[in-house]
Amino acid sequence: MTVAVGLLLGAGVLAAWLGTAALVRLGTPFERLHVVTFLNLAAGLPIAIAAVLTGGASAGSIKVVLIFLSTALTGALLGHATARALHLREGERR
Amino acid sequence: MSAIWLAAAFALLPPLVVAIVAAGRAREAQRLIAVQAASSLGLMLLVAFTFAFDQPAAIDLALAFALLTLPATLLFALFEERWL
Repeated sequence: MTVAVGLLLGAGVLAAWLGTAALVRLGTPFERLHVVTFLNLAAGLPIAIAAVLTGGASAGSIKVVLIFLSTALTGALLGHATARALHLREGERR
Repeated sequence: MSAIWLAAAFALLPPLVVAIVAAGRAREAQRLIAVQAASSLGLMLLVAFTFAFDQPAAIDLALAFALLTLPATLLFALFEERWL
């Protein structure tokens, strides 16, 4: 169990580092917008699974699952809202 | 087990710092994206610290943060669209 939790946390941390590197290196704001979704899913899911394995069947594990689901579901909405704001902002500048 | 979580929490700090610096130094269009990334990373950090210090009550803070991120970011997007 400890090995599984360690591997999952390692994968989540690696995804977080990759996402942050992409946030710095990518060029346009629309490209950088994909980083947020990547962080929510690729880093959030392993950490959530590791939390469930650590906590077992408990209220804390349920809350962690709720946190992951809320970030995964709202991430798409926020990405759309942000992209719309950026698009309208660029249109005005033209 | 908590040592693994503590190590993961400290490993998540540098990406969070980079995202926060990007939120302060980037152009206006990219600051909101950096704030969203910092929010996601901060959320993972809170969950990691919950298990690292064995404080189950701290997960409520992470849950509240996750739920409040939605209206806050929508408000920021509205301001960026209309006034910034």
